[in-house]
Amino acid sequence: MSATRRAAVVGVYTTEQGKRLGRTKVSLELEAIKGALADAGLAHTDVDGLSPLLAEPWSKTHMYWAEQLGERPITYIGTGQGEGAVAKAAGAISAGTCNVALAWVAHAGGGNAPGSKAVPTAAPRMPDFHWEIQGAYMTPLYALWAQRYMHEFGVSSEDLAQVAVIHRDHAVLNPDSVMGRKGPVTVEDVVSSRMVADPLHLLDCSIENDGGYALVLAAEDIAKDCRNTAVWVLGGAEATATDVYQTFNNPWFPEEGKSVRRCTDMAFDIAGVSRSEIDVANLYDCFTITMLRNLEEMGFCKIGEGADYVREGHTKLGGSMPCNTDGGLLSNSHNGNPSGMSVIEVVRQLRGECGERQVPGARIGLALGQGGSVHGLASTVVLAHD
Amino acid sequence: MTAPYLKPLPQVSEENRPFWEGLSEREFRGPRCRSCGQFGWVPYPACRNCFSTDLEWVTLSGRGVIYSYSVVHRGPAAFAGDVPYVVVMVELEEQPQPMIVLGQLDDCPLDQVRIGLPVSVTFHNIPGEDVTLYRFAPSTPVGSSGGD
Repeated sequence: MSATRRAAVVGVYTTEQGKRLGRTKVSLELEAIKGALADAGLAHTDVDGLSPLLAEPWSKTHMYWAEQLGERPITYIGTGQGEGAVAKAAGAISAGTCNVALAWVAHAGGGNAPGSKAVPTAAPRMPDFHWEIQGAYMTPLYALWAQRYMHEFGVSSEDLAQVAVIHRDHAVLNPDSVMGRKGPVTVEDVVSSRMVADPLHLLDCSIENDGGYALVLAAEDIAKDCRNTAVWVLGGAEATATDVYQTFNNPWFPEEGKSVRRCTDMAFDIAGVSRSEIDVANLYDCFTITMLRNLEEMGFCKIGEGADYVREGHTKLGGSMPCNTDGGLLSNSHNGNPSGMSVIEVVRQLRGECGERQVPGARIGLALGQGGSVHGLASTVVLAHD
Repeated sequence: MTAPYLKPLPQVSEENRPFWEGLSEREFRGPRCRSCGQFGWVPYPACRNCFSTDLEWVTLSGRGVIYSYSVVHRGPAAFAGDVPYVVVMVELEEQPQPMIVLGQLDDCPLDQVRIGLPVSVTFHNIPGEDVTLYRFAPSTPVGSSGGD
């Protein structure tokens, strides 16, 4: 085999993100795919890799889209969180398995929030030990995590709230964000918003909205002729851990870390980049607690010190590593699987397209997806422009 | 006539039947590995420590302490009318690897729920359904802290 060729993100696109857009999922998918290909200056006939980020059942999803694209000979069949999907597609491109890969998601019609769940007419049967039998759903699971974390490390609701404040401040500078137009919030606003699942208040939780997005990756020889600056995939990885998929092992917060630590260490190793070189980051902030845990698990501070790291201002625009500059899942968008939105924001930062929220001179960026829950499934990718 | 139970219930299968049958017999059972002695929760078809399939169902104490909790104020679907309710993770007393079991807590004033509170399994037949569920309650009665 010849020397491995580099892979780059060459096209990105986000549709309108909003509470209820009155659009169908497929119309959002088509807009996102067409938009990302146009951003790259490529045609649908160039695509030979598919990575739908919500794919159920996965094989049918790929075959549907291969047919929709004109019975393209697709030679890379991927899926995953945005970060993992980008890492794997880049690996496939480097290995010569495909040349141009699409990763995308769209979500329409809501359904994630507890209030959107209809009462059935008969008791539904769930897999044997499913948390829903116990009245739990995503927010209570993260609340259990937060409660134990606050207990072990002496962290307060106000400590958590500062994450929501900072990410809203960033969203205010992002005209496309769902919550930015509502203006900034204070720590007091967060801790006095209504309780959803103690200790998580409404403003500790991500929003829930419709929207779609897509990314296009291409091999080096194609990327150099694309419309926009190539943003190279330096390295990325995925990992899983036993962390409340159905159970977990005590201790919940081990020094050696869990899946986020593993995939982040691996991504940095592959990329040959050190943590201090990161100019901008976007880390999956489904709840305020998640952001603190992300920063710790990724090795930017010690376990239990996430709140101190945030208080020192590192994650703010103007800080040492501005994070979630689009407003994140807390204030920009949570559209079913928003993990790839993080990659897109980092790409835009590295291209210098972010207007008022631009991190000056950003060259190396980092994105994290996680979930499933809590830190059960994770993926990290390191990106850079030349 | 009692209202039908509309919350999710488990699919009982060949693998998990001893657990759910145990509940109907007022026993909280868990799988223990005959090869390495480890208990497993949630029950998996093979030991999560040594991957042996030589497992036995044993009756557990059903006693433990609250490892974490959340007072839920927004419940999905049929849980919406139950709020506020308490979801707990209970660390059972069996060793060597403590099992942490997700469930709901009853009979405890909200201001008395705390990490470390001793709790025990309780058993609940579901009217009109062929299934018994487990919940938790304080091991000794807990009164409200009172006050105005």
